[in-house]
Amino acid sequence: MTIRRRPFEMRSPYPYLRPMRFIRFFFAFAFTGLLVWLLQSPQQVGDKPLPALGAFFNPFSGFWRNAEPADAASRLPQAVKLPGLTGPVQVAYDDQLVPHIFAGNIEDAVRVQGYLLAQHRLWQMDLMTRKTSGRLSEILGERTLPIDRLSRRRGTGFAAENALKGWQKSPESIRLLEAYSAGVNAWMEQMTPAEYPLEFKLLGYKPEAWTPLKTALVYESMVETLCSRDEDLASTIALEQFGLETFDMLYPEWMPGQQPIIPDTGQWKNIRADIPASTKPANADLSGVSEVDPTLSADRDLDGSNNWAVAGAKTRSGHPLLANDPHLSLSLPSIWFQVQIHLPEHNSYGVALPGVPGIIIGFNENIAWGMTNVGQDVSDWYKIAWADSAHSAYLLDGKTQPVEWRVEEIGIKGKPALRDSVRYTVWGPVVYDHLADHALRNCALRWISHDMPERNAFDLFLALNAGKSYADYQKGMANFDCPAQNFVFASRTGDIAIQVQGKFPIRKKDQGRFIQDGSQSANGWLGFIPQDQVPSMKNPSRGFVFSANQHSTPPSYPYYYCSPDFDDYRGRRIYDRLSAMSDVTVDSMKTIQLDNFSIRSGDALPAMISLLDRSKLDAEGTEMAAQLAAWNGSYEPGLLAPTLFEVWFDSLYRYTWDEMYTLREVKKDILLPDSWRLIDLMKNDPGNVFFDRTATPARETARNVVQESFQAMVTHFRQNPKEKTDWAHAKGFAIRHLALIDAFSRTDVLVGGNRNAPNAISKTHGPSWRMIVELSNPVRAVGVYPGGQSGNPGSRYYDNMVDTWAAGAYNELLLLSSPDAMPPARKLTQQTFSAQ
Amino acid sequence: MKQSLLTILFILAVGQLCRFGLPWWAVAPIGAVAGWLFPQMPVKSLAAGFIGGFLLWLLQALWLDMGNEGILSGRIGSLFMGLSTAQLLQVTGLLGGLLAGFGCLTGRWARDLVVQTAKAG
Repeated sequence: MTIRRRPFEMRSPYPYLRPMRFIRFFFAFAFTGLLVWLLQSPQQVGDKPLPALGAFFNPFSGFWRNAEPADAASRLPQAVKLPGLTGPVQVAYDDQLVPHIFAGNIEDAVRVQGYLLAQHRLWQMDLMTRKTSGRLSEILGERTLPIDRLSRRRGTGFAAENALKGWQKSPESIRLLEAYSAGVNAWMEQMTPAEYPLEFKLLGYKPEAWTPLKTALVYESMVETLCSRDEDLASTIALEQFGLETFDMLYPEWMPGQQPIIPDTGQWKNIRADIPASTKPANADLSGVSEVDPTLSADRDLDGSNNWAVAGAKTRSGHPLLANDPHLSLSLPSIWFQVQIHLPEHNSYGVALPGVPGIIIGFNENIAWGMTNVGQDVSDWYKIAWADSAHSAYLLDGKTQPVEWRVEEIGIKGKPALRDSVRYTVWGPVVYDHLADHALRNCALRWISHDMPERNAFDLFLALNAGKSYADYQKGMANFDCPAQNFVFASRTGDIAIQVQGKFPIRKKDQGRFIQDGSQSANGWLGFIPQDQVPSMKNPSRGFVFSANQHSTPPSYPYYYCSPDFDDYRGRRIYDRLSAMSDVTVDSMKTIQLDNFSIRSGDALPAMISLLDRSKLDAEGTEMAAQLAAWNGSYEPGLLAPTLFEVWFDSLYRYTWDEMYTLREVKKDILLPDSWRLIDLMKNDPGNVFFDRTATPARETARNVVQESFQAMVTHFRQNPKEKTDWAHAKGFAIRHLALIDAFSRTDVLVGGNRNAPNAISKTHGPSWRMIVELSNPVRAVGVYPGGQSGNPGSRYYDNMVDTWAAGAYNELLLLSSPDAMPPARKLTQQTFSAQ
Repeated sequence: MKQSLLTILFILAVGQLCRFGLPWWAVAPIGAVAGWLFPQMPVKSLAAGFIGGFLLWLLQALWLDMGNEGILSGRIGSLFMGLSTAQLLQVTGLLGGLLAGFGCLTGRWARDLVVQTAKAG
């Protein structure tokens, strides 16, 4: 472009001699610069951090760029270059944005899987690894420092490093992990900053290259979720407080009437476990253990899951059926990602973890498998006898041992890094010695996930993906250590089975329930249960196998089962339903997954109503009592009765166990009894001393406490009339965004269910994947999870399955034999990946 | 009037380069170039630059939002104190307008340091 000079213009010989011009130019320049500077600094509104507004609002590279076209999926490029592929790979997307990968070999398939997961879930993958490795503060600043410090000190990063070392022993595993990483990185390399997932822009940081260690970190985040619970401190305080006899009355380890996963059929007669006698009470010097504890254990709202398989003899079609619904903390983006992997030698479909190659829960043309978590406690605390005041050495069997130091450098956004030195003993890390008044500050954590795996979890998942028969499943099982799972199995040839698989410590009775003496190596675990003695069951005559995180075995199993979770209401309900069923179909399986009935409430309510003196109630109370008396214990979304019951039962629980709550008020983290203890005492020992409320002069019995708690419930709703609403609204269920950003969460989902019902939807947890497979020819399957395949809040596939899930509906899962086999009505698009 | 129109068109046209990885503040120097090339009364430079930047950012955002059927703007709006999509678009335009407007004014006055412009407008 040429500049046309106007006739009245002329060059000024000395423009710089005209200070006014210079000053006004300078001010305009400075003001523009200031504007740019202001808009590129992150802002703070109240306590809410806001991103740098300029970069975030700029429509060419800011958030608007993540507003992908609503039909973006069908506009994906037809051809994609992915270096390292040995042959072309076809990817066909169905209408739920599920990629169906058709590859010539597993390595190519996994490379493409890594690429696709990065494309759809990159930020989630980054966040999960940061959480496990204690690197949140690098992006979020000082406010997440306590979280990072705790995960570092618990050694989750250390555990991931060890897991990877174990996996590296298998050349095939490491090849797959590297192919997956290369796939993730290939996506990242072609991505421009404008295409970064929204959360990177919001939080103002960049994604990093993927590595096999990051896969191990994602895996460890599941381990942390599933097998890090223990009640050693809480039980020790309870034992100290009440003495042995009362302790046993309050916290028995076996709930009468429960259905263990594997019943005793005489299969353990010949096992000679040869275990020394009980060590209860804990032989540690417990002085000082129950001092002030700044962090109380959370309420008992746990993860849990259901799975079962039904033999052909009980089904209408004559084919076995398998169902699984793992209950986890629900989030957006979802914990799971659906994928099909088709290879010349096998063809499988299921859910994968973002960041981990392969399919975790799913099915192929011949078998189906599912998992629930094993409740067994695999983390124990040992009190250390320090040898010097600096705590640089400790006593073990009378000898002095130096501690080993692991230095953790925690990066903090906007601050210098924090160097934290963690003491490691023969047991494991001393987690809490950075908190001067923590009850566990002198205790070391012995945790199974710190052990380098002797066996390779990937081999199991590969075996299941490729499995054809019960023998393949058995062979695969033998490779799996941690996190221990109840693996349910069904095959097209008609077998059903379940196995409690993992690396389980052999313990003396009561070992691991309490804090133990760490000065004696004899207090360590006695070894591990041999693989041929882990509980398992194949083709039982009752025609089904099932699990719901309950006790693996009855007390006659020769090894001690230590667990913080003894209730078994879901398991009993599933057992009752399956026992009563014949002519089972996929639809009848759905009715169990969606069953809102809680045996706990069904048991407790009649006892509570019969102890309630209704003549003492006012009109409002009488009306509420009538509603409750008419309720059967099913947590249906539209009912008021469950809302009333939960508040009543909660008050009853607190009034009964007021002894414990008084201690918890002074921050003593004492163990709370399982709710079945309360129900049992109310029915069978209503005069028990625990019903006496210590704050009142009178001597209360169950009858008084039931009456008073009912009054408390009436008062509660009188004072909070808005809370007197149907169960779906009262529950306050929400599926939260992983960074707890409300705008990206779903808080409007109205569902029933309860954590003690098979449909275990609580406030934050619930069925994270519902799957039902019929092992017919061809295999038929349905499934749904509360989220969507895309991790982009700007995508229609971010939460498109939430409403399907909430309505109790399922999608047909397509196990395709070729990309062209996709029904045209369900096909979104197809891509070809190749190295060139 | 013509200079103003040229300023706006220049920003809208050259602003399309922002698609190719220019930094987010590139609209300010683009405005400055427009201010230099199309001299007029400073207040008009400021106004024309503002309108150019406003339209550049707003139209680009509007285009993406329409293709997206408003899914994301609804969520981002509730992130920013419940702004509606229209308000989000206005904020976007305002930011682009301010950057381009003051950039344009800077360019206009930079020209004065070199070139004598008598009674422009």
